[in-house]
Amino acid sequence: MTLRLGRQTFPDDATLMMAIVNRTPDSFYDKGATWAEDSAFDRVAQVVDQGAEIVDIGGIKAAPGAEIDVDEEIRRVGSFVGRVRAAYPDLVISVDTWRAEVARAVCLEGADVLNDAWGGADPTLVDVAAEHGAALICTHTGGVQVRTRPHRIEYDDVVAAAITDTVAYAERAMAAGVPRESLVIDPAHDFGKNTFHSLEITRRLAEMVATGWPVLVSLSNKDFVGESLDLPVGERLIGTLAATAVCALAGARIYRVHEVVETRQVVDMVATIAGRRPPARAIRGLA
Amino acid sequence: MRVVLVPGVPALLPEYAGVTDPVADLRGACLDAVASLGTDVTVVGDPQGERVAAYLLAAADRTGDEASVLVVGNGSARRTEKAPGHLDERAVAFDAGLGRALREGDIDALGALDRDLAADLLAVVDPIVTLAGLLPSGGRGEVLYEDDPFGVRYWVMRWRG
Repeated sequence: MTLRLGRQTFPDDATLMMAIVNRTPDSFYDKGATWAEDSAFDRVAQVVDQGAEIVDIGGIKAAPGAEIDVDEEIRRVGSFVGRVRAAYPDLVISVDTWRAEVARAVCLEGADVLNDAWGGADPTLVDVAAEHGAALICTHTGGVQVRTRPHRIEYDDVVAAAITDTVAYAERAMAAGVPRESLVIDPAHDFGKNTFHSLEITRRLAEMVATGWPVLVSLSNKDFVGESLDLPVGERLIGTLAATAVCALAGARIYRVHEVVETRQVVDMVATIAGRRPPARAIRGLA
Repeated sequence: MRVVLVPGVPALLPEYAGVTDPVADLRGACLDAVASLGTDVTVVGDPQGERVAAYLLAAADRTGDEASVLVVGNGSARRTEKAPGHLDERAVAFDAGLGRALREGDIDALGALDRDLAADLLAVVDPIVTLAGLLPSGGRGEVLYEDDPFGVRYWVMRWRG
């Protein structure tokens, strides 16, 4: 299905890189490296140069921590979205937020996508997406509270739960007026999930793809990779890319990443093996 | 009589297409040449050459009922160390002689090609030998392409008799 992300549309065989841009002092991977606005802007320039189709700008880290109110979140991301929009008129800009008030502010600044990592915690977010023609990422969190870690969560079937909840969220968004072509589902690895849950989601991702909704995966350097390999943040790229390959073979469409170049190579290689993409240039044995 | 010579390069086939075309110039010359043939074409080539011919004939718009022959063959695939058949020191001289005979319409030379040497050099000349019986002696062809981008000698030529 053709995917419409705000001002851009993408054919149904396109895979997309969504580069993470943190406007936070405390995110787990970069630990505030792009907290300063100019550093975040430089990060945008870098990932655009690397070929990212989407930037995902976030003002609050996912893990528990200092309370960031609506005003502070808007201070972090609102005008920054406007600055990126002015510099990159055609870039797809996503904002990682669960709050309708923040979503409204960033849509007015030119955001295309609302990445609701907390699975519809704010029931009016869908109305903002509909009102502003923004796409919406519908994630599965297992019903946990915003910015909490999973604690002793169990599922009868984590994949079935992820499909049921994300599809229900997408259908609720459609009912609110968001076009079907602007809705994406995301099983949300590590969110409301232990490592075994995230591994099962990865192993069975094809079941989510089979729903027909475009699937986003956010795997980059997460704890399920770290716990699988007993490696700290900063040493998880290879494991991340292995998980990426599995999801790419299953047919994931959007990859939310720290490392754009490496992920693009893996996704293109897998798509080429799967026969969904031709080789870049083939002459070996054919001259 | 209209006669065209193209090389039987599998990279021309749609089933081997990549994102970018490694033989774009060659393809353009082949399609240009084949477009000058009539609607009823006799193909002279080995099985792989026939596949390439079928693709080119389907891809080019052709009109007219003039007798037409499409010959599929090429020079040595052993021209350099990076060539498909690695380097054979005899390849460059062999191709030089063959190229001269093609350009000058030297049908005696074409008819007397050393087929054993050609086989050693991975040159596809059996179809080219048939040109000796098709071309008027001294009939000069038009060269649309002559190069060896991958260590294999290609010619795209056209004759109108």
